[in-house]
Amino acid sequence: MSTDGVPTWEEVARDHGRFLYNVAYRLTGNDDDARDLVQESLLRVRRGLETYQPGSLEGWLARIVTNVFLDEVRRKRRRPVQALPENPDLVLPASAAADEVAAAAGLSNEIQHALSTLPEEFRVPVVMRDVADRTYEEIAGSLGVPVGTVRSRLHRGRRMLRTALVKSGALE
Amino acid sequence: MSTIDPPEELISAYLDGEATPEERALVEAQLAASDEWRAVLDEVRSTRELLLGLPTREAPTGFWDSVLDPNIAPPVDLDAQRKKRRGKRAITWLAGAAAAAALVAVVLVPQQSRVKPSVATMVNRHAVRSSVTAEPVSELAPVAQPVKLGP
Repeated sequence: MSTDGVPTWEEVARDHGRFLYNVAYRLTGNDDDARDLVQESLLRVRRGLETYQPGSLEGWLARIVTNVFLDEVRRKRRRPVQALPENPDLVLPASAAADEVAAAAGLSNEIQHALSTLPEEFRVPVVMRDVADRTYEEIAGSLGVPVGTVRSRLHRGRRMLRTALVKSGALE
Repeated sequence: MSTIDPPEELISAYLDGEATPEERALVEAQLAASDEWRAVLDEVRSTRELLLGLPTREAPTGFWDSVLDPNIAPPVDLDAQRKKRRGKRAITWLAGAAAAAALVAVVLVPQQSRVKPSVATMVNRHAVRSSVTAEPVSELAPVAQPVKLGP
């Protein structure tokens, strides 16, 4: 840590990398994209630390990872590619064995899959709130939208997630 | 109390502790009066708890070593790589466009006639002769010596 209280990017990676990776994974839904997202985010952290004002570091990181994610989403929309699913069990009919694995994982695969089916404008507020633990105001600031919009999208996102889980049979 | 129902999204704000005191009172009144609101509250609460209970996803083994050790794999500037790729793509595209334009020019642009003598030459000769003799028909294309009929 430097004398002005600003961490180095290595310190950020070491101390907050777990948080960063978890948020990246919940946003992207797979390890390959999460790795790219974390690497790109750390580069922005490195550049941004020069002007960083000590405060909520995880809030700042959540903002960066979200913005990098949304940039990537926009880029992919301009140049769509058909990616192969990382986990074929998520798109093929589930076998009995897959059900057992999912049950053992405590629904987390189903939740992640349902989360990945949400449009980004709903997924991002849900992940920012329920995974990254950000306030509505922070989310609004990150996304550049009014707090009322965050409220509405977050609520709709949770409702859509619930519907997706019921539809998939993960919830009754 | 207002006869207009409060917006349902207040339920999430209520659960997240993001509702104002007035909004909390509105939600509580609505919950007391409406089975539907209570059902939505239960659903949103349980969905929220599922998300909050998700385990922290750990990065694959070796990922952080590669990120933190510049000797193994220095962080890759994806932005820079992307810009570089975009630049290369633009050059390739321009080269392709130039080649296509050249091909179009070769195929489509009218070339010099292969007829000999050229049409232009014929026209010029005819113009010269006709202007001198004022007999365009007989001078148009003399192909042989004129025949003299006797005696």
